[in-house]
Amino acid sequence: MKMSKEKQEITFPLSEAISFAVESIRRRFSRALITVISIVLGIAFLSALLTITRIVSALSGGLSQTSQGPPLYQIWMAAIALLVCGVGIINSMLMSVTERYKEIGTLKTLGAEEIHILELFLIEGALMGLIGGIVGAFGGWLVAFIMYYVQSSSPQLVLQASLSSIDIVGISIVLSVILSLVSSMVPAYMASKLNPVEALRYEV
Amino acid sequence: MASALRYEYTVETEDLAKTYVMGPVSVKALDGISVKIRRGEYLSIMGPSGSGKTTFFNMVGGLDRPTRGKVYIDEVDIAKLDAYELAWLRARKIGYIFQTFNLIPVLTAMENVSLPMIFAGVGREERLKRARELLERVGLGNRLDHKPSELSGGQQQRVAIARALANNPVIVLADEPTGNLDLHTGLDIINLLKTLNTEKGVTIITATHDLKMIDVSDRIFWIRDGKLERIETRAQVSARAEE
Repeated sequence: MKMSKEKQEITFPLSEAISFAVESIRRRFSRALITVISIVLGIAFLSALLTITRIVSALSGGLSQTSQGPPLYQIWMAAIALLVCGVGIINSMLMSVTERYKEIGTLKTLGAEEIHILELFLIEGALMGLIGGIVGAFGGWLVAFIMYYVQSSSPQLVLQASLSSIDIVGISIVLSVILSLVSSMVPAYMASKLNPVEALRYEV
Repeated sequence: MASALRYEYTVETEDLAKTYVMGPVSVKALDGISVKIRRGEYLSIMGPSGSGKTTFFNMVGGLDRPTRGKVYIDEVDIAKLDAYELAWLRARKIGYIFQTFNLIPVLTAMENVSLPMIFAGVGREERLKRARELLERVGLGNRLDHKPSELSGGQQQRVAIARALANNPVIVLADEPTGNLDLHTGLDIINLLKTLNTEKGVTIITATHDLKMIDVSDRIFWIRDGKLERIETRAQVSARAEE
C-alpha cells in the first residue's frame, strides 16, 4: 500500500487513557458519585459480613475456627448485595455511554480505534470500582469491629480477631474492581462498536 | 510532513452512491457522483438540505461505506482499508470540522487540539508545542486552558479548526462549519479557513449552504437529490450573479 511508506502507528498510551478517564469522572462527578456509593454499600456489606463471621468465631473460643465460615443465608445476602451493585454499575455506565455518543463519534473521527474506546470505558469502570472498593471495604470492616468492640466483654479478643481479618479488606477491594470491570464490559463494548456517523448524528 | 508524495488529485470519487433502507422504503441519498478534487483546492459542496451533502462528506471522510462506487484518497481506494488503516487515515490524512464543533467537553482547548496527535503517536513535548502554535495561529493564544463550555461558538470552532490541522492532514473536511454561527463570526471562520488553505496548501472541502462560502471557493459543486447538478468556478458563479 502506498501509505505504508509514511506509516506510523496509531496509539493511545495507557497513561493518556487513564488521565482521560479521570477527567471524565471528575467532570461528571455527581453521576460517578452515585455509582461509587452503590459500590461502597455493596462492598461494605460484604466486608462487614465476613469480618463479623471471623469475630464471632474468635469469641466462641476459637472452637469453630475450622468450621464452615458464614451461614448460607448470609452468603445469599452478600451475593444479592453484589448483584444489585453490579446492575447499578451497568445502568450507570450505559447512561454514560448514551450521553457521550457524540464524544465517542468524535474520538473515532480523530483516529481512535474500537480498542481505545473499550479501554477508556473499562478504565473508568475499574477506577470507580477501586475507589468504591477501598471506601466500602474499610468502612464495612470498621463498622463490624466497632459494633463488637463496644458491646463485647472481651474487647481485646475482638481487636485481635478484627486485625487478623484485615485480609478481608484486600479481598473485598479486589472483588470490587473485578465486579466493576465485568459490569462495564457490556456498555464499553457497545460504545466501541458505534458507527461514527450514527454516533455523530445522535442528539441527546 | 503530511505527505512526501504528491498526487494531482487528492480525492476522486467514481459513481459514488449511497442508499439508505428504512423498512420498505429505500432512499437514494447519493446517486452516482463522479468528481475529482485537486490538491490544495478550496471546494464547496452546495445544495439544499437533504440533497446529500453530508452523505458525500461522510463517504469522502471514510466515516461511512458507500453502497456503490469508489472513493480514492491520494489514489488509495478506501473501501479496501481495514479498520486499523481507516483509523490511521482519519488520524493523519483527514481533519474534520463539524457544524456542532464536537469538542470533547471534559478537555481544555490545548488538550482537544493535542488529542489527534496522541492517536498519531506524537511525543508529549512536541504535542504541546504544536497545539500551542496552532491555537495561537487561529487567534486563541490566550484561551489555551479554557474548556469548551467557557468559549463562545466562534472560539469553539477555531479550536476545532486547530484540532483538524493537528496532524498536518492532506484534506480538511468541513460539514456546515458556519451553520451554528452568526453572520460576522461565520465570515471570520470562512476567512480563517481560506487563509489556512493558502498558507498550508491543504485541500479544503466544505459542505454548506452558506453563500458567503462562494467568495473563497475555487470551485463549487452543486448537488441536488443526490446527483451532481453542475460544477462551477467562482468566476462563473459571479458572472451568473451579475446577469
